[in-house]
Amino acid sequence: MSEVHPLISAMPATGTDARPGARAWLSVLSRFLPGARAWMLTPSLLVLTGLFLMPMAWFFVLSFWRLRSYRLYPDFSFRNYAAAWNEYLDAAVFTLWMSLTVAAITLVIAYAMAYFIRFRAGRFSGPVLMVTLATLFGGYLVKIYAWKTILGSTGILNQFLLATGLVSEPVSWLLYSPFAIILSLTHFLLPFAVLPIYAALRRIDETHIEAARDLGASNHRAFRDIILPQSQGGIFVAFTIAFLVTAGDYVTPTLVGGSSTFMVGTFIQSQFVNRMNTPLGSALSFGMLASCLAILLIARVLLRASLKVR
Amino acid sequence: MKRLPQTAWYAFGLASVLFMISPLAIVVFFSFTSNRHATIPAGAMTFDWYRELLANPDFWPALTNSLIVVGFVGLISMVIGTLAALALVKLRPRLATGISNLLAFPLMLPPLVLALALVTSFSWIGAPLGLWTVILSHLVFTQPFVILIVTAQMQGFDESLIECSRDLGASPWQSFNTIVLPIIRATLIGSTLIAMSISLDDFVITFFTIGGGLTLSTLIWGMLRTSLDPSINALGTLILLFTVGASTLALRITHYRG
Repeated sequence: MSEVHPLISAMPATGTDARPGARAWLSVLSRFLPGARAWMLTPSLLVLTGLFLMPMAWFFVLSFWRLRSYRLYPDFSFRNYAAAWNEYLDAAVFTLWMSLTVAAITLVIAYAMAYFIRFRAGRFSGPVLMVTLATLFGGYLVKIYAWKTILGSTGILNQFLLATGLVSEPVSWLLYSPFAIILSLTHFLLPFAVLPIYAALRRIDETHIEAARDLGASNHRAFRDIILPQSQGGIFVAFTIAFLVTAGDYVTPTLVGGSSTFMVGTFIQSQFVNRMNTPLGSALSFGMLASCLAILLIARVLLRASLKVR
Repeated sequence: MKRLPQTAWYAFGLASVLFMISPLAIVVFFSFTSNRHATIPAGAMTFDWYRELLANPDFWPALTNSLIVVGFVGLISMVIGTLAALALVKLRPRLATGISNLLAFPLMLPPLVLALALVTSFSWIGAPLGLWTVILSHLVFTQPFVILIVTAQMQGFDESLIECSRDLGASPWQSFNTIVLPIIRATLIGSTLIAMSISLDDFVITFFTIGGGLTLSTLIWGMLRTSLDPSINALGTLILLFTVGASTLALRITHYRG
């Protein structure tokens, strides 16, 4: 299950069977469009190939090229990777650390929310799910900007803290700090993480849980041996999304991270925009992606091992 | 784990909903209040920031560009996504899952990397940047959502309805037009709205692939970088109104629940 893409796995039983309804629909459609099936996938696959696979391949090739007086020359050297390693190792380690933190916090809150929606919300489960989904599709910049309004030294939170006398002067580390980045990204990523976990929880057969309880398992035991292992696909997907988005983000650090908090995304972006050094930007991107992939593989192994039913 | 009392779960649920909504609510709230800064008490209610936004010479071109991009992206991704979804359900399950995962793969990567790959590729083939490069780029990450929603929806499709109509003498076209289309219309509209929201909301890929002009999201970025002009709240509210509004509407009419 965990091989399945997050948003695909969010759908109930994708592609398990050519559904009867769909088959009928298609049989009607194909009467009008002979040979329909063959070309129906073509536009989507063209978009994927021409606007994703080929650009990514080209961008990767560029990471081996050379830049001399603002012009690109074909080459096959690893000097860009070496330069990326030498110049940006600290930023990369910091970024990966932030990504792990954000992914872990998001995962815990998202799991609790998905669990609430699935098992505990009762008649509120529909509305809560609706809020989660509705905030998924909109307001990326607005959300980050909102935190700037809330966390600033004259922001709402500080006004509240001062008014209630909890602090005597504004708390300065709320904004322009790693804390602000973690909070903003957790807020932004929460819906993205709730969705795949909820989808996994929804697939769990409640009779399994009841059977475990009937056989005398405690709540804890039923949760640990049935619910957690059966939702590990969703857990991994939620973690992956949160981790990768944080690792590649430059908007959040730019807006709420302040002048001393640099993440790799900021440097990739500036290699490209300010220094016109595409090869170094590319090497930095792919170096970062490779590190993320390695960490995710380790996370996957650890997750599997820790959720094994004893 | 001790069994938490139900009230504790409700409290948690309420807290998490508030956490998700309140930052957005704050932006909306301060777009209607007269204070220059987000302070409490907030001052009188006003539409000044909206007036200021409409008077901003950059706003109208940005709005026009956004409407063009969103319109084309919504329409094209609905058509190609629906076609793909229709073909996918006919394929062998393994193959179908493989292809859907492949099509959804771009969603896994940080948008920045995709944006840079696209813009270097456009310059490699000598394509001038503009609205059409933005539209093409958006398709990469809007089509997976259309495919998802349409595929999910087709599970509830009742085949016998078509058989009935055919038995009663309807032509294939009649049964498509009078039975299939009304049933899937909501899904098509819903998935178009979702694609439009994602397109309007995207900043990173738009910013890199547009070259010169502005859209609403790159305009808000510019305003954020230069000043803390309260009309940002007004613009943010407009974007939220469209994206969250359109997604809510889409979720209602499609009954899509993840």
